[in-house]
Amino acid sequence: MKFRKFRLAGSIIGLALAAAIVAAAGGAGAADDPANVIKYRRIVMGSMSNHISAIAGIVKGKVSYASHIAAHARAMHAMSNLLLDIFPEGSDIGKTRAKPEIWSQRAKFEDAVAAFRSESGKLALIADSGDMAAIGAQLKVVGKTCGGCHKPFRKKKKKN
Amino acid sequence: MLPARPPISWWLAALAIALANAGAAAVAMAAGDNAVARGAYLFRAAGGCACHTASGPDAAFLAGGRALKTPFGTFYAPNITPDPETGIGGWNDADFIRAMREGRRPDGAHYYPVFPYPAFTLIRDADLGDLKAYLDSVPPVRRPNRKHDLSVPYGWRFLLWVWKWLDFTPGPLATDPSRSATWNRGAYLARALGHCDQCHTPRGPLGGLDRDLGYAGTRDGPGGEIVPNITPDPSTGIGDWGVDDIATLLETGMKPDFDDVQGLMDEAIAQGYRYLSDADRVAIAVYIHDLPPIVHRVARATAKSGGFD
Repeated sequence: MKFRKFRLAGSIIGLALAAAIVAAAGGAGAADDPANVIKYRRIVMGSMSNHISAIAGIVKGKVSYASHIAAHARAMHAMSNLLLDIFPEGSDIGKTRAKPEIWSQRAKFEDAVAAFRSESGKLALIADSGDMAAIGAQLKVVGKTCGGCHKPFRKKKKKN
Repeated sequence: MLPARPPISWWLAALAIALANAGAAAVAMAAGDNAVARGAYLFRAAGGCACHTASGPDAAFLAGGRALKTPFGTFYAPNITPDPETGIGGWNDADFIRAMREGRRPDGAHYYPVFPYPAFTLIRDADLGDLKAYLDSVPPVRRPNRKHDLSVPYGWRFLLWVWKWLDFTPGPLATDPSRSATWNRGAYLARALGHCDQCHTPRGPLGGLDRDLGYAGTRDGPGGEIVPNITPDPSTGIGDWGVDDIATLLETGMKPDFDDVQGLMDEAIAQGYRYLSDADRVAIAVYIHDLPPIVHRVARATAKSGGFD
């Protein structure tokens, strides 16, 4: 009898501990300082901009590293999978152009992110094809999905 | 009935006609076959006059009411539909030309240069006539104008004659015979219609353009926006852009790094410049790409891949 109660109590405590650990790990970003989340987010956005600009430079023939397109495209698609994580509640306060609509219109925001993930994925798939025309065309499609989020959810550049 | 195998001369004639049409199409696309169609195209070249339509999806086209915040106060754009009482339906051609060429109302009072007549004065008479024909054709909407809300002394309209005496010379743009036809077309589209310098050039305290910093951007743009330096300076302007990059931006709003323009420029593209012909956008790009480079930093140098402190 005593032993059973002990085991039950132990299981309950163990489960509670596990839940706490999972909550701490799974809630990534939610407890971070918003100022750092904003900096991190700018880095991620900048890295995607760098990769797409690199591909554009190759497609335009400024450099001849056609074999690099795949690396850039895959990196950009990998970044796209981070986007939903890096907009936690409260991260529109501070030095950021993120608009509150990201949270008040969350479904629309997630659709915009999904479009970018999808099109960047397609770019990664054709990146090794050597077909510069197709890659250039898909580049434009991807660029439009960048705007698909920026236009509704990013503030204009203002002085203050 | 076509012959089974047309003679060579038939093919040559067809080819000649096709080539002639291709050449004329570029002009025809700009000219149109009547004044309203030509005027509609010029309207697009002017950026679609987004300033004259209030914000919001239900706003009536060109019926005014939109607020434009500037360092001089808030302006409320007037109704330019052909409504006879609250719009410009009562205007004749001379009234319209006087407004655009001289910046004066039919009653003789001066307009504030927030209405960019210092650019529109450069438009040629025939094009002004076509623009009026187009404006006369849009649906008339009854919507009374709202008075501007300006700080002293800018609210004193009569002082505008001083500003004009100092800074404004009316008259259409002359062609520069030493430059190419494309450059001249681009100069006309950019300076007279697109009125790029009205936003992209900084203004002095009297509101006049600081011509030493032509197209070099400003942090005090309309609506509180930062307006970029579009001269080909490599460090503070768009020196690393090609003509094709500028033309692409005018069509899609996308910059070479795939960032998109927002704000008033996005509206001017969406409602105006993207409707131009490819050749016209390239002409504008040729003109802009050829501007004297000016060092003038307006945007904070964004550390794109900056780290944590």
